[in-house]
This record gives sequence, structure tokens and C-alpha cells, in this order.
Amino acid sequence: MTLRSDHVAGAAFIAFGVLVLALSGDLPFGRLSAPGAGMMPKLLLVVMIVFGIALVLGAAASKPFAEIEWSDRTHALLLVAITGVAVTLYTTLGFILTMTLLVFTLLTVVERKPVLHAAAYSIGLTVIAWWVFGKALKAPLERGILGF
Amino acid sequence: MGVTLDSLWLGFSVALQPAVLWYAFIGCLVGTLVGVLPGIGPLAGISILLPITFGLNATNAIVMLAGIYYGSQYGGSTTSILLRIPGEASSVMTCIDGNAMARKGRAGAALCIAAVGSFIAGTFGVIMLALVAPPLATLALKFGPPEYTALLTLGLVFLAYMSTSSLVRTLLMAALGLLLGMIGIDPLSGHFRYSFDIPELGDGIGIVPVAVGLFGLGEILSTPSRQVTAEVIRPKLRELWPNREEWRQSGWPIARGTVMGFLIGIIPGSAHIISSFLSYAVEKKISKHPEEFGKGAVAGVAGPESANNAASTGAFVPMLALGIPTGPVTAVLMAALMIHGVPPGPTLVNDHPQVFWGFIASMYVGNLMLLLLNLPLVGLFVNLLRIPYAYLYPLIIMFCVIGVYEVAHSIVDVWIMLIMGVVGYALKKFNFDPAPLVLGLVIAPIFEMSLRQSLIMSDGNWLIFLQRPIALTLMVVCAGLLAASAVSAITARRDWRAKLAEETKETKETKETKETKETKE
Repeated sequence: MTLRSDHVAGAAFIAFGVLVLALSGDLPFGRLSAPGAGMMPKLLLVVMIVFGIALVLGAAASKPFAEIEWSDRTHALLLVAITGVAVTLYTTLGFILTMTLLVFTLLTVVERKPVLHAAAYSIGLTVIAWWVFGKALKAPLERGILGF
Repeated sequence: MGVTLDSLWLGFSVALQPAVLWYAFIGCLVGTLVGVLPGIGPLAGISILLPITFGLNATNAIVMLAGIYYGSQYGGSTTSILLRIPGEASSVMTCIDGNAMARKGRAGAALCIAAVGSFIAGTFGVIMLALVAPPLATLALKFGPPEYTALLTLGLVFLAYMSTSSLVRTLLMAALGLLLGMIGIDPLSGHFRYSFDIPELGDGIGIVPVAVGLFGLGEILSTPSRQVTAEVIRPKLRELWPNREEWRQSGWPIARGTVMGFLIGIIPGSAHIISSFLSYAVEKKISKHPEEFGKGAVAGVAGPESANNAASTGAFVPMLALGIPTGPVTAVLMAALMIHGVPPGPTLVNDHPQVFWGFIASMYVGNLMLLLLNLPLVGLFVNLLRIPYAYLYPLIIMFCVIGVYEVAHSIVDVWIMLIMGVVGYALKKFNFDPAPLVLGLVIAPIFEMSLRQSLIMSDGNWLIFLQRPIALTLMVVCAGLLAASAVSAITARRDWRAKLAEETKETKETKETKETKETKE
């Protein structure tokens, strides 16, 4: 049997539904006349599991899992990793430093742009964004440990 | 009618104030840019710019954000026609014949027809909004919890029925969205649900991080810069005016697209996207020369462009009159109104007439601005399209982070955005539409509250939804739609939705083939 995309997607939803249902043990279902905090989530999880099963059963119409195009995965992984590091540093380094580093790293690591071009662009862009958001629109941008 | 005219007069007295005009202009300009630039749609654009409106009053905020929404429908056509890449999802159909017209040297005419069609559709939509929303709001005052439950159920069923992907996939996404909406403190019992001792999750998951993650970051993750080429056709200003034959061919498609778009816009779902696909299908079906479609048919530009603009205006009817979002964009706009202490819904017309009518009047003005903005400034937008995508997306990621963080100054929200970006990427790979997820997230609190209140009212009797006339009517419509879906699924009959899905698939495949070819070259 060929493994198809809906087999994987359906199985993922079933697994997710079962896992969250297991985590919902402490939520009271209540009675129909007095529904508890757990009633709606538990009903939704059951619905999700049922639809997950339906997806698996009707998977023959979906394309084979092996045919899903993943050529963009390196790009996606790099972007997630770099943005994740930026999010971690954001409250410590503040807006100006974090955003300059974020844009610079994306341009040099992901896009392989010349370092000087990337540096000029990232500094210029961050300063413009800082002025527009922080000064013109008066949005309170995060200040880092260096005070800016 | 007299009352409506008086109210419109009040609206124009608000909309023509310099500050409101300024924010309408900013909204239209930003909306056009959002529509023009690939990789950022109206939802991400509105969500990112939402924090900027915190310092404005409710009227200025909603006027600006709505301007971004309908402005993006105008802007999306520019990229579709000149670049054959839809700047916005609803512009996919315009790519086909708009770009074919451009390759025949009629880029200016295609842009002009798209702009004029959008203007007519937008203006018609606003007139209808002014006429339909107030009486609907009066009717909605009679709604109690069972009616709201039935209405929201109908919304979800309609969304699933109208979806070009399968009923199961749409409802799965909606269920996931509803489930995400359950996170946080239960308003009736005070229980913490799925907050895992993270205090920020106590208030639940916000719509902005989810929307920006799914539609902004998710799109960027799946679009490596090498796949975005910039082969832009630059029209000359003197070529903008269509010839007599082109005007003649665009008249009826604009009229049909306008009416169809408005009616579809009222229905929940990604109406502006569905309406453009349906309009294209209808025009092709009734055309005396269907073979011209795909090779630069004027009707293939005029119809879909009018339809998506009318639909984006129609979507405001349930939002303003009932307080129910028909899609993720209206959901964010509702959130914006609520942040400003103006709850959308039946009481909006009476409690905040200046906001309601000022907003409607500003849309008349906004449509005129867009017409004046889009045609003369087309050269500027063409130059924007020449910015390499490799330099553009870091800017968009920066805006995503700022936009999400500034809503509540919560780094947890930014993490949620990042996670949702990955989820959006995965959903795209497995052919799931994330729009129902966002809609589910937004309606979750209203849906749960009204369902539980209905059950408490009836002492646990589900028949309450069949004992009240309005709720019964809505439930009968639900049952009818589900039966229609079931019949077509059991008999494997290809109805209009299946044909529409095929058209969508064909268009996407053509675009992907072109991108792959260009990448290889």
C-alpha cells in the first residue's frame, strides 16, 4: 500500500486529539444542564479524531506522501532557527540590536548576500523602522540592556 | 430611506474630516502595497499594523484597517497582471487573462479595467452595506443564545460547504481553531484550560499571532527567494485607457461580478477568494468565445476583479450587523473595534452611529481614492515589484515580530506566531486551508458561551435549537447544506464546487510549473 499524504495528516490529527484528550483529564465535563469547562474541548477533540479517521479512510484520493515537494525545507528551517534566536534575544538586546542582527543574518546566511551590502541594508532598515514605529507612530519599542 | 440618507449625511460629516481622510488614504496606500507585494496578504498586513492603531480613536482605526483590506484587493491585481504572481489570494484568477493581456501589449487596459471594475464593485458594495446592515442589526436584536449558536453553526457549515477543499478538511481546521480558542480561563467556571502554567496563556491565544504566523510567516517559509522572479511588464501611462471594444466586453462581467461578489461576501468563508473563482467560471461558461479565456479575455479580468472587491465589502454586513466575522480578516477588524471599546454587532448602529456611518461613508471616499491612486501611480508600484524578494522578506519578518509583540508586549505571543508559521507551512504541504482555523479561533468564545447558555436555559435539552423559529430556520438551512454535501459525496457527483476546485488546482499547477521552469533557467 502506498503511503499517502492524507494517511500522514489524518494520523497526525488522531494522535494530536488523543494526546490532548489525555491531557484534559482534570477538566470537568459537567452535565448537559450545567456544562463544565471540559465539555466543549472534549467534544471538539472527539470531532477531530473522527475527522482524522475520515481523512485516513479517504486517503486514496490524496497524492502519495513521497510526492510532497520539500525542496524549500532548508530555507524554512534556517528562517525558523534564525527568527527563533532573534525572539529569544529580543527582550534582552532590544529592538535595534536584535532586528539589525536578524536582517543581517537572514541576508548573509540564507541569501548569501555580500557582508557590506547586508550590513548597510540591515542597519538602514532597522533605523527607518525604529523611526517610523518608535518616533512617528509612538509605539513603545523594546529597549535592551544597553538602553536602546 | 430617509433615515438612511440622514445617517449617511452624518457618516460623510465624519468621513470628510481631515483626520479621517488622512487615515483612509494611509489605509488605501498601505493596502495597495500589501496587495502588490507578494508574500504578504491583507490579513498579515492588518494584523501587523493593528498595534499602530492603538493610539487612534475607533473611527480612524477602523477606517485605516478597512482601507488596507479593500485596498489590497485593488493592489493584488497589479502584481497579477504585470508579474503573473498573485499579490493576494483573491487575485489568482486575474493572473490568467490579465497577464495574457499584458503580454499582448494591453497591460494598461487590463489595469484600468481592473481598477474601474473594483471601483464600481466597491461602491455598489458600500451602498448595499448601508441599506442591508441596519435592518439586519434590528432583526439581530431578537437573537438569544440559541439563535447565536445556530447562526455560528450555520457559518461553519456554510464555510465547509463553500470550501473548494473537502468538507472534512475544512471542518477539521475549524475544529482545531475552536480548540485553540478554548485555551485560557473558562469564563463560566474559572478553570484554567491548557495553559500549562504559562500566565500569558491564561487570557487565551490572540488572533494576531495566529493570523500573522499562518498567513505571514507561513507563506514566507514556503517561498524561497529563488522561486520569486521579477519579470515585470511596465505599462506606459498613455496606454492605460482601454479601447471601445474592451469597454464593451467588460460592462456585463463587471455588473455580474459585482452582484455575485456582494452576495457571496455576506456568506462566511474566504468570500473574496471564492467569489473571484466563481465569477471567472461563470464568465467562461456564458461567454460566446470561451476559447479566448486564458489568452487575454477582457471578461476574465473584469469579472473576478469586480467580484473580489464586492465580496470584501459584503463581508462587512455580518460583521457590523451581527457581530459575526465571515473570515479571518473581518475577525481581526472585529478585534480592532473591540480593543477600542466598540463592540460590533446589533447595537453598533444605535450606540456608535458615528463609527458605523463614518466607516461606511469613508469606504465611498476610499474607493474613489483607490481609483485615483492606482492608475497614475502604477509606475511607482511597478518599481516596488523590482525590489528583490531576498531583501523584501527579512523586512516582512521584522514587521511580523514587531506587529505581534506590540499588541500585548508579550514574547509568548511572538513564540506562538513562530509556531503557527511552522504549522502554516506544514498545512500548506498537506493541502489544508488555514482560513477556517482562524475563523474557528475567533468565534470560539461566542460559540462556546452561547451553546452552554442555551443548554443551561433548556435544562440540557438539545431541542431548544428546534423550538425557536429563527434557530429552527437556521438549523434547517444547516441540515440542507450538509445533505447537499453528503449527496454529492455519496454519488461522487461533480458539482460546481468540484469544478471550482479543479480550476483552482489547474491555476496553481500552471503557476508552479512556470516557477519551476524559471528556477531551472
